[in-house]
Amino acid sequence: MTLTMLPYLLAFILLVVGLYAIVAKRNVIKIIVGLAILDYAVNLILVLVGYRATKGAPPMAPILTGGMANEPALVAGAVDPLPQALVLTSIVISLSVTALVVAIGLRLYEKYGTFDTQRMRNLRG
Amino acid sequence: MHGMSLIVKSITRLVAGFIAIFGVYTVFYGHVSPGGGFAGGVIVAGAMVLIVLAFGEEFSRKVIPHGTAKVSDALGAMGFLAVALFGYMAGGFFVNFLPRGEPGTLFSAGTIPISNLAIGVKVGAGLFCVFLALALFRRPGERQNGLTRGQPDRGALEGEEL
Repeated sequence: MTLTMLPYLLAFILLVVGLYAIVAKRNVIKIIVGLAILDYAVNLILVLVGYRATKGAPPMAPILTGGMANEPALVAGAVDPLPQALVLTSIVISLSVTALVVAIGLRLYEKYGTFDTQRMRNLRG
Repeated sequence: MHGMSLIVKSITRLVAGFIAIFGVYTVFYGHVSPGGGFAGGVIVAGAMVLIVLAFGEEFSRKVIPHGTAKVSDALGAMGFLAVALFGYMAGGFFVNFLPRGEPGTLFSAGTIPISNLAIGVKVGAGLFCVFLALALFRRPGERQNGLTRGQPDRGALEGEEL
């Protein structure tokens, strides 16, 4: 494995951390945090896919600054803007998902008086 | 919610306006610099959430009535749809009907700044509504923050209208 694959590896480690929190934790708040970590890991992987290494110059954001005269430099050096647009949509969706999950968590706490998923049961005994 | 300490209130009084102005700037310069409708709307919503947290719900009702947030939420969506439908004047859905201007300046890019403005209003008001729904509204009879069971609080009554 070359060193250029290292960011992918780190992003996958982040993804596994989020997945572990969702699967193994019992606290609802920790599960929500794990969901957020999973979201950001997926976003990071998508942005990494759009990265393009340019010789010599540092990578540019795909934003035209300073008028149309800089357009050739932008075309030559900018990273792929398409995954970034996709990630923007993904961030909006993850925000909505987080709001929904937090609302469900609040309702669960109001009903059961605890955030522990193993103590949420209707049958007592 | 009855607001927080004097320190938080003073800092909020200094800072909230600047945060809101920075959000509006991010919305209006979305087509020439990083940012845009969503990011700017989130910043504006952050300023409003800060006011609610620092001064309490009673005061925030005078600054931003909840009905205004609700109406702005709807207006943002309708504005974005209007920009899309006005494109039929130039030939199709979402087609640019304004002069394009010079790229890189503030008055350029045709309908994109107007779309950004609509998205900013929608996101700011919508996120503020989400925060209000999560923080303030309770169903009657629920036990929360020392409320006794069976006693509907103020937020429960307001929850009907938003």
